[in-house]
Amino acid sequence: MDRKKRRFDSPRSYSKGVPIVVWLLFLVVVPLIFTFTMSFYSSKGLVIEKILTLKNYKLFFTDPVYSRILFKSLRLALSVSVLSIAMAYPLAYMVSFKMARGRNLLFMMCIIPLWVSYLVRIIAWRSILGNRGVINSALMTIGIIQEPLRIFLYNRFAIAVTLTYICIPFVFIPVYTALEKIPRNILNAANDLGANELHSFLNVVLPLSLPGLITGFIFSFIIALGDYIIPLQLGGTQGIMFGNLIWSQFGFAFNWPFGAALGFILFVISVTILGLTAKFGSTEGGFLSE
Amino acid sequence: MSKSNATAIELENLTKRFDEVVAVDNFSVGIKRGEFFSLLGPSGCGKTTTLRVIAGLETPTEGRVLLENQDVTKIPAYKRNVNTVFQDYALFPHMNVKKNIYFPLKMKKVPLENAEPKIQRVLKLVNMEGFERRLPQQLSGGQRQRIALARSLVNEPAALLLDEPLGALDFKLRVAMQKVLKDIQRNVGITFVYVTHDQTEAMTMSDRIAVMKDGLVHQIGSPDEIYNDPATAFVASFIGDMNFLNGTVLFMSDREGKVEVSGNTIRTRKPKKVSGGGKEVLLCIRSERVLLNPHNSQLDNVIKSRLKRIVFRGTDYEATCIFDESEIRAVVGATVWDHSLREGDSVRVGFNSKDVVMFPIEEERDVIKYSVEAV
Amino acid sequence: MSNAIGKGKLEKRGVGLKLYGLLIFVFLYVPLCVVLVFSFSPTKTLVGMSGVTAKWYKELVQDQELLKALLHSFEVGISAVLIALLFGTSGAFFITKVRFPGKGLFRALVMLPFVLPGIIMGLTLLIFIKNLNITLSMFTIMMGHVSFTTPIVMFQVSARLQRMGPNFQLAAQDLGATPFKTFWYVTLPMIRTALIGAALLAFTVSFDEIVISYFLTGTWMTLPVYLYGMLRFGLSPKVYAVSGLILVFSLSLILLMTRYIGRSSEEVLVKR
Repeated sequence: MDRKKRRFDSPRSYSKGVPIVVWLLFLVVVPLIFTFTMSFYSSKGLVIEKILTLKNYKLFFTDPVYSRILFKSLRLALSVSVLSIAMAYPLAYMVSFKMARGRNLLFMMCIIPLWVSYLVRIIAWRSILGNRGVINSALMTIGIIQEPLRIFLYNRFAIAVTLTYICIPFVFIPVYTALEKIPRNILNAANDLGANELHSFLNVVLPLSLPGLITGFIFSFIIALGDYIIPLQLGGTQGIMFGNLIWSQFGFAFNWPFGAALGFILFVISVTILGLTAKFGSTEGGFLSE
Repeated sequence: MSKSNATAIELENLTKRFDEVVAVDNFSVGIKRGEFFSLLGPSGCGKTTTLRVIAGLETPTEGRVLLENQDVTKIPAYKRNVNTVFQDYALFPHMNVKKNIYFPLKMKKVPLENAEPKIQRVLKLVNMEGFERRLPQQLSGGQRQRIALARSLVNEPAALLLDEPLGALDFKLRVAMQKVLKDIQRNVGITFVYVTHDQTEAMTMSDRIAVMKDGLVHQIGSPDEIYNDPATAFVASFIGDMNFLNGTVLFMSDREGKVEVSGNTIRTRKPKKVSGGGKEVLLCIRSERVLLNPHNSQLDNVIKSRLKRIVFRGTDYEATCIFDESEIRAVVGATVWDHSLREGDSVRVGFNSKDVVMFPIEEERDVIKYSVEAV
Repeated sequence: MSNAIGKGKLEKRGVGLKLYGLLIFVFLYVPLCVVLVFSFSPTKTLVGMSGVTAKWYKELVQDQELLKALLHSFEVGISAVLIALLFGTSGAFFITKVRFPGKGLFRALVMLPFVLPGIIMGLTLLIFIKNLNITLSMFTIMMGHVSFTTPIVMFQVSARLQRMGPNFQLAAQDLGATPFKTFWYVTLPMIRTALIGAALLAFTVSFDEIVISYFLTGTWMTLPVYLYGMLRFGLSPKVYAVSGLILVFSLSLILLMTRYIGRSSEEVLVKR
């Protein structure tokens, strides 16, 4: 009468899990452990000294240059997420509530930009914002300006716009899923009890879609925070974000231990934020299950 | 239609626990070959768990399962010679009807040519010839049910286990299918173990019924025994329409009992479970055994009461009468109903002592009550 | 009476919303269209677009390095998907069939490579690889791709298994099928479309992947890495042509995938 054993299946049936656990160890757990360990080493020139030290973390927390970059990135991620919500939520609302037919088709069409190449989307924005890009060419043709404006590219504005563009589908999916889950007869009931559309929205739709909204916000935030390619491509000198700060440690700066420390800090931040989704966001509506 | 005394299925002290919950508690029974045996009870009583243990889809915590006198407790489901008809039929959606029915034969490595006549035979048995190429999605609920039945029968198992197979069908179809199932069972002569929460279903189809609640078997017996000689207050309340009266024992002998109910002395049947005077008891009388204004002076019990409510139910009338705080219902056939009776009238209610069953008052908590609080 | 006024307001708000929605929709698609348009333009800019030409695409076919990178992308994609199918499907069965403690944590761990910023996966794998003294090559890139394709397969398949419910397998066993035969004759056909859909999705993600790949790449390059390298020299028309190709290819993969993912596909494709 072994009570503890009965709560879960006997270990014999765990054999089904061996492959996935091996995968987990090799590709997730062990690399993370190695990274954590490396964050306590230090680098001298091209050599990595395997003596444990806290100097990487000390450097990050004391030298304002680095923490400033992190805060800059956090702020940017926040703005990007807010912008993405401002664009994705109304779109999702429109598709879910205002479209009588063709909803599935419309949903697909809002998702497609998500799946067609991250890199191509970056290239697209470079070509739109650049000196000889679409905006400048259009403005010059119309005659508003004579010389191309340099304000569009190689700055934080460019990063923000491109990141928002990337993040919109990631907000759209969970929000749309959450909106679709709201039973329409609840809205009929609200209407029947005297609520107009604004009231229905504020009191019924918004609260019920909140988990989806939070999930979308968090996904967008994480993506924007950790991105390094967009700041590299479009950020110019203004555009040093946390992402490409980390990247440079593995590139020309060749300070792998410091990069590991920064990476680990980013890991902790991401996991904490993702943990918030589990608590406050919706667990469904991922791209992984339908 | 031979029902030999050979035992098809035997359960020995079967107990199944899930964590701290006891789903089945010490169930022992011998089900005879060719018998239609039902497991009856409210949801959560353990009847489905018992069935799954017999099928081999669950392993018992304690006890043994024997199929045709062989201990199969440790043998997995795919090696046991019993088949199950699931509540949702579980027809394989990627196979047509013929392939579904062929499946168990295929698992036994029977080549298709040899299997064809068997497949045709079961299709004929369930009246679904010609449906071989259809997919399950193209069939109606009743049709799917029959194919599931055919699929489980084609291998000629020692016993067929049915888990509320008619639950998803609407009423008329259900009644029709009950007849079909019973006919098939009699024709094929196969042992049926049938799980249901519908007492009418169990009563009309079964040779014997096991009435269960919360994992405990309250009674195993024929429909007649269950109905007229309930072993516990729960069984009494679960089947048919029963009146329940609270009283105190005045006198007890091995032939009869005398109980005081709201100032009246009621003579009861020979008491089985209660002994000694002064005890509080629960009296049960079937409402169709209660007579209004009886002429027959041979009735042991006659009580003066007031007619509180009359309900016309088509084939009969239900009259609710009260005396002091006690309430008793009488069901009277429409043809013999006294149309001069009005609500508020004084009436005499009468019933025989042999129709009064007595249970200890502790069993009252098991009684299935239908009231606003219960909802 | 209030209904009539209400309805009018409703429609007005509806129109405003629809207009906004349309704008955003346009915003989503214009950049992609720009790329496509540029890829057919003989000059480098939109202004003064003098006709349509396919010559940049023709140049692509002659670029050996590019073709090699394209081939590499396919090699990595297909192998990563196959490996992911193995690990992911077994993981899906593990998660849906076995009750074990800490299941929530386990799922979260498996999801990590997919939800974490790619840079974290990239650097952790890079450090891991260097510690084992493996040189950067196709194998290392494949490791990176397996890390995010496996969760895709696992969660798609486990969702399908959950929707299926346990009864089909129980019925098969009850009717005499051993666990292996149950898997082969009943379970596998029933998850077939989920497997195909997951494979397509995983391949699409892998084909386009740049963030992790860039960390783990040596001289052996996939298409996105190659394309990224081309960007060093600015936005040449060839860049647009490659982008155009990638766009069209990804789009077709996605459209193909929708036939296999989702509830409606289960009913339609179950027939054989």
